[in-house]
Amino acid sequence: MNKKILSIILAATLTLGASAQKLDRSKRPTPSAAPEIKLGKIEKFTLPNGLKVFVVENHKLPKVAYSLSLDVDPIMEGDMAGYTAAAGELLGRGTKTRTKEQLDEQIDFIGATLNTSSTGIYASSLKKHQTKLLDMMADVLMNADFKQDELDKIKKQTISGITSSKDSPDAISDNVSHALVYGKNHPYGEIATEETVEAITLEKCKAYYSSYFKPNVAYLAVVGDVTMAEIKPLIEKYFGSWTKGDVPINKYKTPIAPEKTNVALVHKEGAVQSVINITYPINLKQNSPDAIKARVMNSILGGGSTARLFMNLREGHGYTYGAYSSINSDMLVGSFSANAKVRNEVTDSAVTEFMVELKRMINETVTAEELEGVKNYMTGTFAYTLQDPQTIARFAINTEKYNLPADYYANYLKNVAAVTIEDVQEMAKKYIKPENAIVIVVGDKEVAKKLESFSASGKVDFYDTYGNDYVEALKPAPAGMTAENVLDKFIEAKYGMPAGKNLDKKLKKIKDVTVKMNASIQGQTISVTRYSKAPNKFAMSMTMGPMVIQKQTFNGTEGKVSGMQGNKNVEGEELEELKKSSVMHNDVNYAASGDKFMLLGVEPIEGKDAYKIEVAKANGDKESEWYDVASNLQVKAMQVKDAGEEAGGAITIVSVFSDYKVVNGINYAHKIKQSFGPQTLDMEVISVEQNTKLGDDVFE
Amino acid sequence: MKRILMLALMFGGVLASQAQSNKIEFEQYKLKNGLDVILHEDHSTPIVAVTVLYHVGSKNEDPKRTGFAHFFEHLLFEGSENIGRGEYMKLVQSNGGILNANTSFDRTFYFEILPSNQLELGLWLESERMLHAKIDETGVETQREVVKEEYRQRYENTPYGSFLPNMFQRAFEVHPYQWVPIGSLEHLNAATIDEFRDFYDTYYVPNNATLSIAGDFDKKQLKKWIDTYFSDIPKGTKPMFRPTVAEPIKNKEVRAVIEDNIQLPAVMMGYHTPAQGTDESYAVSMLAQILSQGNSSRMQKSIVDEQEKALFVGAFPFPTEDPGMSLALGITNMGVSLDELEKAIDKEVEKLQNELISEEEFQKLKNQIESDMTSQNSKIEGVAENLANYAVYYGDANLINTEVNRYMKVTREDIRNAAKKYFRKDNRVVLHYVPKKTDKSETPKLKEEKK
Repeated sequence: MNKKILSIILAATLTLGASAQKLDRSKRPTPSAAPEIKLGKIEKFTLPNGLKVFVVENHKLPKVAYSLSLDVDPIMEGDMAGYTAAAGELLGRGTKTRTKEQLDEQIDFIGATLNTSSTGIYASSLKKHQTKLLDMMADVLMNADFKQDELDKIKKQTISGITSSKDSPDAISDNVSHALVYGKNHPYGEIATEETVEAITLEKCKAYYSSYFKPNVAYLAVVGDVTMAEIKPLIEKYFGSWTKGDVPINKYKTPIAPEKTNVALVHKEGAVQSVINITYPINLKQNSPDAIKARVMNSILGGGSTARLFMNLREGHGYTYGAYSSINSDMLVGSFSANAKVRNEVTDSAVTEFMVELKRMINETVTAEELEGVKNYMTGTFAYTLQDPQTIARFAINTEKYNLPADYYANYLKNVAAVTIEDVQEMAKKYIKPENAIVIVVGDKEVAKKLESFSASGKVDFYDTYGNDYVEALKPAPAGMTAENVLDKFIEAKYGMPAGKNLDKKLKKIKDVTVKMNASIQGQTISVTRYSKAPNKFAMSMTMGPMVIQKQTFNGTEGKVSGMQGNKNVEGEELEELKKSSVMHNDVNYAASGDKFMLLGVEPIEGKDAYKIEVAKANGDKESEWYDVASNLQVKAMQVKDAGEEAGGAITIVSVFSDYKVVNGINYAHKIKQSFGPQTLDMEVISVEQNTKLGDDVFE
Repeated sequence: MKRILMLALMFGGVLASQAQSNKIEFEQYKLKNGLDVILHEDHSTPIVAVTVLYHVGSKNEDPKRTGFAHFFEHLLFEGSENIGRGEYMKLVQSNGGILNANTSFDRTFYFEILPSNQLELGLWLESERMLHAKIDETGVETQREVVKEEYRQRYENTPYGSFLPNMFQRAFEVHPYQWVPIGSLEHLNAATIDEFRDFYDTYYVPNNATLSIAGDFDKKQLKKWIDTYFSDIPKGTKPMFRPTVAEPIKNKEVRAVIEDNIQLPAVMMGYHTPAQGTDESYAVSMLAQILSQGNSSRMQKSIVDEQEKALFVGAFPFPTEDPGMSLALGITNMGVSLDELEKAIDKEVEKLQNELISEEEFQKLKNQIESDMTSQNSKIEGVAENLANYAVYYGDANLINTEVNRYMKVTREDIRNAAKKYFRKDNRVVLHYVPKKTDKSETPKLKEEKK
């Protein structure tokens, strides 16, 4: 008996000892067979009012969550930027039957959560409180009572929030990135500022709520400890009376990447780190066949703490706490971003390393090992996200919203596994654009000098914290100098004599002027001819080869535009504008124009100091003009024009004038570079002729 | 009276039935080398969380070598005798896992969440880290730079980021809570490789660790693997420093004005409060909840909504193993002075000291706690971490199921008493954060106050 026990003990010890000795620690464990990853079940139904409902049962915890989301087009908020967010907040601040106080009290009493936003409502609680919760959620959704005093509070708090985030380099980088990547004429590029929030009206918020919160554009996900049988009647009861209606559709011009890489710097006084974001817009929709492949590519580049950017900038160089990249797909316009926060003194070295890694993705194929690792990682994290039952609901809603194939998520892992090394390089060539990027740095301006080499133009553009040109760079103009002084000197420089009788006499002798120019736009050459005839006739024609692309005329009373899209009479404000600008040598009589001129200061244009003048037009438009301090000639103009809805709303037109030459006693700029949005037009004057006896028919 | 009793009975009944249906089952045992093992099986998703809690935080550090525990949070990813530099993360991520670690005043926590077929890999990785992590000059140099960046990012370049170090260095005179986990960069620079190695040999040993695993596994197989990978790791023999000093009871308010790169002034208050897990700590925690949890909470409703004095208010306990702090803070709304805001906060605290909260408000608190305690176990990594915390701090992992009862024992009187006893003005530190006056200046450096 004893002997037997002893031998068992001995045997046990021996086995243990043997196994302990046997463990070869240098040998890495191999995985067992991969587990099957099953997507949880989802059930759906649609209410007669169009509300699409998705139900995911999960009985692990006695909780339930309702999340309602709207699928509507983003909105340009303009001078009230921030109003949809305010409307979203107002939604949760009282209903026709519950004051804000009562609502808060009742939500907190059951330990529930109820959040509202401009595009939805999220509510969750223990299951035992769910009817109370649904009652409140439906009340908020359908009977929200927007009150002025609540809006005032929201505005005050939002403005305080904006004020406090002014100092957050992340918030600045975020704002400026949006403004520069998408442009301020795209809803993604709009920034809520103190001024725009101050301007928000209750009517605007109410209008948003009543036009966009409709069941026919909404999804409701129910996730948690529920069954379809018990939940369907509840949803019908609480959301059945929500009335449907047409919801506005908004379309926008798609922003495109810059022609050449430029560097934007936002100065932050006393910053100890630079926040670097290398970014640009891309065209990648959620339902594009590239979407998964591009994600794999990005994961190798900068998707995490084993990706190339992290290994290089953090582990290799110790420049940063983390360096990452992201590729964001979107139905309107996507974006790429590579980012890190680094200490001031290595800002340029960090940008260099970023560029090295971006180019390496394009020029070299990735290794099989890297690709395999990323695929495994994506598979693993996919499984991880399934832990949260909200994931399944999200999948179902995405499938509808982005028009994905019905089996998109079921086949997701299969499609990840199918990505090849060649696919990755193809994606890099398509979506990684180190030559068309905006390098945005928020940090101390002392780092600017070293960043110049990354910009195709060799210079760093300064912006304020909202992505506007950094006007603080402006130096005060010399004492006593006025806008009138600047303009008078300009007239003298252009016409060879100051305004007055002699100049009038000289100009009277000029009956007509014909200016011929060559212009190149997107690699195409076009001819532009401008005709003027005293006193106020004007015409311009643009031709490409024998083809007339566009012709504009003003005969003194009527204006016309004709082109490949047909003919159009110029009317209203546009005509008034044309009338004014058609007066020959109208710049001489600036004082009679009704416009107001203000000298803002002196700032460098292409390296040379220039006076900056703000022109407040009689019609309310604003323009900026710059006049060279040394030569007194105009070197730049900037105006904002409303190009109409289809063209993407307002566009900024910047003209840069150079190469002035005197022709028949008048100094003309012979090079004009005009840019509007991402496009640029380079014009070169070939000839300026006077008194060629132009007939009136030219202007009809 | 009868009504209250009924309510209490109903409530108790509900809780009991829930505790049964959603109980977290686990098994706990110890290896011969002292490693504490906790296992929780959950097959709902094919993933598994492998976690190791080392009972070492900033309070175990030498006052002349602060920041070590946090530094090790970084250093122990550098590799081991069998894992090359940088390979640690790669091995986890390229096998479909995610990983991270965090450090507090009291402990350091490492975890991987892996597909369930990679469980053995997770065990091997954690056992390598415990047995023979690589601690050499190269790794120390690299991670020093990384920690410096983390310091800049978290404390210097973030508005109000220096708030915790500023608070704790003023609140504690003798206890090591006077420095925060990130510690001092100068200390890290001055430390020799032998000092790092000694710290590793002292604290990163099985008898100072808890291996907590939750998720989709076969328990029999798992136990076999745990034995294979961990039982041959030798027990630590060096003495571990565990502070026994008690911070003396305070009877004088400490105040300071801090200039920072911020736009909106803020007031930050820290009250000395009892250690986590003590009876009074639950009352203190509920006190903070009354003040700022939810829109109907007192500070939110009165100071933010009605008086519009603050943009943000918050009150929260900062649970620590030794007696620590409870914090209350507010960021001023436009045009409001710090004194006004401070007075408004004080007024809410005074009400709690002088008046019992209503039965209804008390019931609200309990409902909120019930909801919060239910939610904290929604993810397996949360379950693994909670089990380890309860086991290490209170010696009872089952508190994951029963801690809620400790809250339910708290009475309205307990809450009022806690307010009186601990939320005294002479028991606190008050910091006024104000925008820097000059615009061209250095960011605030955390001052190491010489003691």
